Amino acid sequence: MTIAAEEEMPGAKRRSSLIRSPQFSSLIILIVLLAVFAIADANFLSPLNISNMMAFLPELGIIALGMTLLLTAGEFDLSVGAVFGLAPVVVMLLVQNGEVSIGVALLAGLILCVAIGAINGLIVTKIGISSFLVTLSMLLVVRGAALYITQGFPLKSWDQPGFFVTLLAGSFNIGSFRFYTSLWWFVGLSLLAIYILRYAKLGNWISAIGSNRNAAVARGVPADAVKIWLFILTSVLAGLAGMISAFRISAASPVAGTGYELEVIAMVVVGGTALTGGRGTILGTIVGALMLRAIRNGIVLIGVPGLAYNIFVGVIILAMLILHALLQKNAARS
Amino acid sequence: MVQEVLRLQNLQKSFGSVRALKSASFTLNEGEVVALLGDNGAGKSTLIKAISGVFPVDRGDIYVRGQKVSIRSTRDAMDLGIETIHQDTSLAADLSIARNLFLGREPVNLKWLGVFAPLALAKLRNAASALLKRVGISKKLDADALVSTLSGGERQSIAISRAMQFAAKVIILDEPTNNLGVEETHGVLRFVKEVRDAGHSVLLITHNIHHVFQVADRIIVMRRGEIVAEQTVADTDLLTVESIITGADMSALLRETRTK
Ligand SMILES: Nc1ncnc2c1ncn2[C@@H]1O[C@H](COP(=O)(O)OP(=O)(O)OP(=O)(O)O)[C@@H](O)[C@H]1O
Ligand SMILES: [Mg+2]
Repeated sequence: MTIAAEEEMPGAKRRSSLIRSPQFSSLIILIVLLAVFAIADANFLSPLNISNMMAFLPELGIIALGMTLLLTAGEFDLSVGAVFGLAPVVVMLLVQNGEVSIGVALLAGLILCVAIGAINGLIVTKIGISSFLVTLSMLLVVRGAALYITQGFPLKSWDQPGFFVTLLAGSFNIGSFRFYTSLWWFVGLSLLAIYILRYAKLGNWISAIGSNRNAAVARGVPADAVKIWLFILTSVLAGLAGMISAFRISAASPVAGTGYELEVIAMVVVGGTALTGGRGTILGTIVGALMLRAIRNGIVLIGVPGLAYNIFVGVIILAMLILHALLQKNAARS
Repeated sequence: MVQEVLRLQNLQKSFGSVRALKSASFTLNEGEVVALLGDNGAGKSTLIKAISGVFPVDRGDIYVRGQKVSIRSTRDAMDLGIETIHQDTSLAADLSIARNLFLGREPVNLKWLGVFAPLALAKLRNAASALLKRVGISKKLDADALVSTLSGGERQSIAISRAMQFAAKVIILDEPTNNLGVEETHGVLRFVKEVRDAGHSVLLITHNIHHVFQVADRIIVMRRGEIVAEQTVADTDLLTVESIITGADMSALLRETRTK
């Protein structure tokens, strides 16, 4: 049930494979969840609440897009939450203390993210250490750097409007809904990721590398280069998401994004992407991102005590994974 | 006049202190099936990995059609017309048959987009179906089926068809009949003959000497990283070959028992 095959199937066969696909079962569950929350609390579908969810969604969703591609190629990145925190901290420090313009500071932040991703990728592919260990260490280094350069204090709010703020965190109203430009970033990047994974030559390589690296290399696919670029992409997207968040709330905290790495990986695997590589779905990730946002938002609304709510999140994620595993078994048997 | 396709001269390869390939020289001619034999660890896979660009050799030269070449990557080998089907499975199970057949050489539109170029999906599917038909496995297999749903023999057939499709000069098969059933094994051997009849040269690695006598023209035996014998199939027999592989002189033993 992979991306790789489904759009090439004609008619009825295509339909049945779509229904059994993991992203489809995730979608059904998302709809059920939304319905339950909506019935339990009328405020869930209120413009204010939807606007709220849509403001948060892109920030984790954008990272999840990069993570999906990386997971499909058989690697993952635990340092994204830390990069989410460090990038805006560095940018804002440069703007406040240095004499640099916001554009130059953003460029420096971008270069920093590229460097972090490249170091992750180079160590994983060239030295051959598992991405779990490499990016776990990188998480500590990056988070530590953010805490050290700020001495642990959040940076003063920075709210001069301008081109970049509008570009990353501008907002607009549609009726009584308030949306941020980050939603456009998420939509645009999602479309791009769908195109790459499903329709581009690169997507074929990514799936092949995650499925059987040696086979891909034997066909002349530059597996290491692809992985290194995916690490860079994921890091850059994490930094972008961090900037969007920092601009939206007009502040940069050195602890921003703590725990996001696991939340993002949960979004991706709940959507149906295999943790073991080879099978990835961007549509599933979008559904997964929506689902985790809706769950976090909904269970607060329906009155689950704040301290108990990770229990629910965990249980729902587990249930999703069990469902995917059962579907997978079923598909293998038929 | 026989046309030389591939010539190896004094290839050497060590892994640390293990001299996996001490010195290997041989010639492969056009339209010829050469069987490469030898016990486990003799260096067969190492030799063919060197030819197919999996790793560089420490020493020695490779000639393709008389031209000295340097093979630094799998891509180099493919571009020289050397297609290899490795011992460890060479397909990506999560991809469809069609996508596997064209992996690394995908037909695309808007070529200038490089790796971001869109796959020509219709072309991909049609070419794959045509290829499956050509090698005679079309009735069973759908080009859009995932490789993970295929049997070992079917996968092997796919890998061989892929090698044929790019009109490779040299097709190298590393133990292609491993783990295959009787019927599937016959299928693979039939492929080898077809490939040869189509003018390709085949280097076949196997532990099954019976298969060798069914399809090979020539036999090369390796032992401990060296080529120890080279014979045409017509000039030898099963027992002789077996004894060369193990190093024990079994035919001499047999002669002794006969004379008694
Ligand atoms: N990557 C490697 N690193 C270290 N040693 C290796 C490596 N590859 C092969 N060897 C060693 O080189 C020798 C030859 O191995 P090779 O795989 O070429 O044998 P083979 O003839 O293909 O055997 P088999 O019939 O079992 O496949 C063996 O001793 C093996 O342990
Ligand atoms: Mg071998």
